[in-house]
Amino acid sequence: MPGADLALLAIAGMAAVTYATRAGGLWLMVHVPLSPRVESFLRYLSGSVLVALVVPAALQEGSAAWVAIAGAVLVMLATKRTMLALVLGVVIAAAFRGA
Amino acid sequence: MTVRLTMQGVVRGAREMAFVTPSVILFGVTFGVAARGVGMEGWTALVMSMAVFAGGSQFAALDLWQAPVPWGPLLVATFAVNARHLLLGASLYPWFSGLPPWQRYTAVALLSDANWAQAVQAHEKGERDAGYLVGSGLVMWAAWAAGTGAGAMLATLSAAALRTFGLDLIFVTFFACILMEMRRDRRDDLPWLVAAGASVAALWWLPPHWHVLAGGVAGGVAGVLLDARR
Repeated sequence: MPGADLALLAIAGMAAVTYATRAGGLWLMVHVPLSPRVESFLRYLSGSVLVALVVPAALQEGSAAWVAIAGAVLVMLATKRTMLALVLGVVIAAAFRGA
Repeated sequence: MTVRLTMQGVVRGAREMAFVTPSVILFGVTFGVAARGVGMEGWTALVMSMAVFAGGSQFAALDLWQAPVPWGPLLVATFAVNARHLLLGASLYPWFSGLPPWQRYTAVALLSDANWAQAVQAHEKGERDAGYLVGSGLVMWAAWAAGTGAGAMLATLSAAALRTFGLDLIFVTFFACILMEMRRDRRDDLPWLVAAGASVAALWWLPPHWHVLAGGVAGGVAGVLLDARR
């Protein structure tokens, strides 16, 4: 674990980068109009980043993670309620592990 | 109506965003618990939630929370996970361009997915007060911080207990849920498949922690190529 000083520095770095993403879109629109290509890239970037967070993590974790994801996806398809899908997916996976 | 930023707008935004408080608190609790699960101090988790205020990137950071700090991967992952904010901010341009720069760039400090969606919806109905984004953002920020603090305090749960309740699976499941929400139509499928393939390849063949960036960039480039062919 990083010590207190380094932890605060790491958090400050994350906060600065995150603020840059929050202000950057607006700043860019004021100063440089986005080309259609950049716009297209940004539009696919968020989803692709999420895919890249989910798939490798589930591969490393194994079957329980796939059960949680499948459960949550089914609940999302049926109800469109994120929090319910999240809770049910995790509960089903915990039950699967216990079985 | 002219564009401005007033206290009335802040109050209106806060009131109309209040409905999300329970779920944001609950999600904050899961972050606090997960942070303790990887060995982070409670106060560190709280400071992170207050300063960064971006759940996805904070969960991603837990994976990288070690000494020595992996600066490159940590900051790149933070950027990659939060890069979607660039689009949200860009979409506010027609509304916020009428404000003085300091108000414009202060208001977006509290920009996140849910209050952005709420504010855009309000704008369609005639809202022109940028305070709306600030107020709705403050509600989410306070709930996120309170939840994190509570979770970090209550988290005497060991890693084994986290596994028993499936809490170690919360973020991967949450990201899957957000993906379901984000999918627009079949256009997304191929770039997302490319992202999956690239991230798995990076997991196998690159040093640790670069798979998110590899997947994100590969999916984004695939999307650009696909759009160009249409």
